[in-house]
Amino acid sequence: MTIDWPILSFLVFSPLLGAVVLLALPSQRMRLLRWTAVIATLLPLVLAIMLYIDYDPSKSGTAYDEQSTWISIPLDKAAVGGEADFDLHFDYSLSLDGLSLPLVLLTTIVASMAAIASITIRKRWKLYYFWLLVLECGMLGVFLARDLLLFFIFFEITLIPMLFLVGIWGLFDRERAAIRFLLYNGLGSAIMLIVFVILVVTAGFTLEQTAAGVAHFGYSGSYDVIAANLADPQAYANQLSQAGENPFYLSGTMQTVLFVLLLIAFGIKLPIVPFHTWMLDVHKEAPAPVVMIHSGILLKMGAYGLIRFGFFLFPEQADKCSTLLAILGLINLLYGAVIAFRQKELRLVLAYSSLSHMGIVLLGLSALNVIGLQGAVFQLISHGLISALLFLLLGAFYERTGTTKLDELGGLARTMPFMSGALLAAGLASLGLPGLSGFVGELLSLLGVFDSHKAIASIAVLGIILTAIYVLRAVMGVSFGSMQPRFESVHDARFIEALPVVVLLALVVLLGIYPSFVTEQLHHSFDSMLEQLNLRVGG
Amino acid sequence: MAYSEAAWLVPLFPLAAFLVLLSFGRGMRGWAPYIGAVGTLCSLVLSILVLFEGIEYQDRIDWIKINGLTLSIGYEITHLTSLMLVIVSLVSFLVCVYSAGYMKTDERLTVFYSYISLFVCSMLGLVIADNILMLYICWELVGVCSFLLVGFWYQKPEAKAAAKKAFIVTRIGDAGLLLAVILLFWYMPNHALDFAGIQNVFLGQSGVVDDGIVTLIALLIFIGAVGKSGQFPLHVWLPDAMEGPTPISALIHAATMVAAGVFLIARTFVLFEASSVAMNTVAYVGAFTALFAATIALAQHDIKRILAYSTISQLGYMMLALGVGSMTGAMFHLMTHAFFKALLFLAAGSVIHATAKQDIRELGGLGKPMRMTAILFGVGALALSGVPPFSGFWSKDAILSAALDDNPFLFVVGIVGAFLTALYMSRLYFRVFAGKVSTDADHAHESPSVMVFPMALLAVLAVGAGFVDTPWNEWFSGWLTGDDSVTHGSSPTVLIISAAVSLLGIYIGWLAYVKRTIRPGTIAEAMPRVTRLLEQGCRIDDLYAAVFVRPYRALSQGVRLFDRYVVDGVVRLTAAAASGLGRTTASLQNGQVQTYGLAAVIGLVIVIVVFAGRRFWS
Repeated sequence: MTIDWPILSFLVFSPLLGAVVLLALPSQRMRLLRWTAVIATLLPLVLAIMLYIDYDPSKSGTAYDEQSTWISIPLDKAAVGGEADFDLHFDYSLSLDGLSLPLVLLTTIVASMAAIASITIRKRWKLYYFWLLVLECGMLGVFLARDLLLFFIFFEITLIPMLFLVGIWGLFDRERAAIRFLLYNGLGSAIMLIVFVILVVTAGFTLEQTAAGVAHFGYSGSYDVIAANLADPQAYANQLSQAGENPFYLSGTMQTVLFVLLLIAFGIKLPIVPFHTWMLDVHKEAPAPVVMIHSGILLKMGAYGLIRFGFFLFPEQADKCSTLLAILGLINLLYGAVIAFRQKELRLVLAYSSLSHMGIVLLGLSALNVIGLQGAVFQLISHGLISALLFLLLGAFYERTGTTKLDELGGLARTMPFMSGALLAAGLASLGLPGLSGFVGELLSLLGVFDSHKAIASIAVLGIILTAIYVLRAVMGVSFGSMQPRFESVHDARFIEALPVVVLLALVVLLGIYPSFVTEQLHHSFDSMLEQLNLRVGG
Repeated sequence: MAYSEAAWLVPLFPLAAFLVLLSFGRGMRGWAPYIGAVGTLCSLVLSILVLFEGIEYQDRIDWIKINGLTLSIGYEITHLTSLMLVIVSLVSFLVCVYSAGYMKTDERLTVFYSYISLFVCSMLGLVIADNILMLYICWELVGVCSFLLVGFWYQKPEAKAAAKKAFIVTRIGDAGLLLAVILLFWYMPNHALDFAGIQNVFLGQSGVVDDGIVTLIALLIFIGAVGKSGQFPLHVWLPDAMEGPTPISALIHAATMVAAGVFLIARTFVLFEASSVAMNTVAYVGAFTALFAATIALAQHDIKRILAYSTISQLGYMMLALGVGSMTGAMFHLMTHAFFKALLFLAAGSVIHATAKQDIRELGGLGKPMRMTAILFGVGALALSGVPPFSGFWSKDAILSAALDDNPFLFVVGIVGAFLTALYMSRLYFRVFAGKVSTDADHAHESPSVMVFPMALLAVLAVGAGFVDTPWNEWFSGWLTGDDSVTHGSSPTVLIISAAVSLLGIYIGWLAYVKRTIRPGTIAEAMPRVTRLLEQGCRIDDLYAAVFVRPYRALSQGVRLFDRYVVDGVVRLTAAAASGLGRTTASLQNGQVQTYGLAAVIGLVIVIVVFAGRRFWS
């Protein structure tokens, strides 16, 4: 631990620095705007790499805690006897652990690559890059916030830039896609808010004896307080009071309801079938660099939220629902893979592919053992990189050919050998070829889930065949076979396009060969959750 | 220093070659064959040193460590693995040399050699792996290299289809193998996945792992082997894979990768021995495949497809050997087959290179203009047909003897297969090299020495490799297992019958295609339907299209429509309902104070009722 300045705050708000600078630049200077934006995304990337190097998994993340009271609303003292303080407070609280760290690093990497890839954007650069940087700020905040309100606000911050990025720079049907995106995610956010409010007024209730001997009652939005209260059998939230009614009591049923609500709220984001239709529109209409971020990071926020709030706060309920989770995961996996096979639009193949791969995440989570959980997180990271790479390439192909319809493409390996080779590699990574990152996530998830749900895991193995079928069809449809004569003159990648391709591909290979890169950092992330699970369920 | 300790370098030489070729790309076209060949040559030299050193060595490192559970990668040198290392690197090296001539004019020569290097690296990694997970990783990698090389001429629609088919069909087997790995992980004591550990568990005491589970694991491993080694019913990809360049067919689809299934079973043989169900399955599937593929080979016309079906059939023999308990017989045949089948493919490549034809009906009389190729092909054909004293005779003898000891029925199947083998090979040989000189034979010329040299070396091995294990010299069996009691196990009866049927097969072939005392078409014309069926590979492809491909397409289409109209339909309906409600209520906002007043009064009444009523129901 060598960093003694508030690095997390710097990290979260560093993209905004770039956004402010952008606002001051003239809006017609495309090159200037572009380079400023790219440099602005490099800043958080550097900070994230510093964090990664500095992070010591054995000490967990408490070393980086940044906390200060943010909102404090005094409440009526009479309600608690008149003497004590009584307030509702929300903290500005950021923290880092093994679960956040890889996702933060992923966010900064994908955001940088997306910024570089945004050379395909043809209009209103200033506004575009501005929203891109605001979006990055929101995403980083989501992964680092440790206060319910703060988390909620960051989560909402990501919606607005996406609305504009899809709505202004998208394809033909962009506005409808943007509105659907907003409505659907707004619904998820509303459900999340309900759960958060219930949590704050029950598990968030604390009683402290201050030094002066005055009792201090309060409702807190702090994640740590809520987590500690939920885990502590002596806490109000877990006591069915003897004397009269305990308004802070969360019964088992209520906890299950909260877990299921969280599952729906984050399931919309993840997405879980049948809440996935909004993301198809985003994949289809949004510009490629935006989909890189959407598919690469935003979907991961759903899984992250589910783990952070669903699994960590309610491990017992997660255990109760684990079969349901496994079935949902299996449905996602197979449903996505089956539909992807018949899509004529490459963007939709990739959209359903994301759906299918998120099924593996759910399966890994449902294992509720350390292998499966790590597999799920690994799959998140791996899919983030792979789908970013795939959409990066898709954007490049679209720019040259003007189409992403599979029956119009074909044979492009001849004029675009580099891009086609990269597409093939990305496809192979996506279908879980060993040596590339996709395999590790799949292997660990399946390995983990087999211990808990043998039959479901065995069926899930079929997924690797179905995935191969649709991935090969799509990839070979683009690069193999005969080529339309009108693509005779298209050129291969320029340097600036090849750069992000090489970076992402290198990371995919690196994680495939040396998975400890992620697994080491995750080392103790699930310890406390599994400990609690063992404590309560006894196994 | 012991060479075995450095054996981990063996797969890394070709990897280095791959990386060099990949990073320099087309810039170094002329150098590509040298880089590829030097990489494999280094592996070959080290492999030979390791083989002759003959010590056992093992080392590993952690790959993924999760709270005390470790998945490792490592290498293990035993007699079995060191032998395979030499076979693989030798054939690879010779194919690299041969390709320098065969692929000379191809503009993507660098890509070709980079794929080959990656393949060799993965294949050597597969061989040297000390645990089944690492083997699985390399197993997938060789599969993808095979896919890349089958689809090397990516513009040809047949190559594209064949590559896709090869990948997907073997992937079905891979799914089985993956499941076996997962099962092993959870059922083995200490989650041991290494072969030595598996061996200890099963040789130690029985009952550590439940019998049903053992059978299940063994069968799942076998599914993997069936996919990779082209056994019935997953053999369909192998004949199509002949769309790839011929040196690739020699290397991947004859000598090395397709034998990986046999190697896998040999590596986990204790598991199979613990389950009689699994052993019988292996034996019967192998025997059936041997016979089935040999029959189809009789009716094929494409020189490479005949050889492909022959490979399937010979791999069936190896499976048969494993199933009747003769691991040494299987490995012996694997070795001799690697030499003579690689030779046959390279010689076939030489013919194709010279004539640009591969349909045997259009070929003929090539013995004169291509004397060297004809001789070398002949050596390979005799070895394959099992004529003494060529190597194939001895290895097939080992298999048939083991079959006779275990199950006479399988022995008979093996003998019939041997007869058919000799018959289809003589048909192929006489059709191509003897008889009337076809029009193209005039300008057919002998291949350059860079192509002839590797064939010649393989021919020497095809003749000589059999002598390591004969009824009089059982060195190989003892050496491979480290157990002197394991013998070649031959009886004079088997030797005589086996030699007799192969000679008979060749004689009939000679009568039909050279002497013409039997008209070749007689049987075909007597049974036109059967002939058609065999020509089309028993229409297994059509069967799969009807049973799997089309239903899956329909299912996919159905689910797609379901997604579009039902799932999304519900969403749209909800949205429409919401906006409809919005519109209705919006019309209430009409600016008339009376309406608002009414609404306010109604609301107030509801509130009062709720508050007043609370005491009754709470």
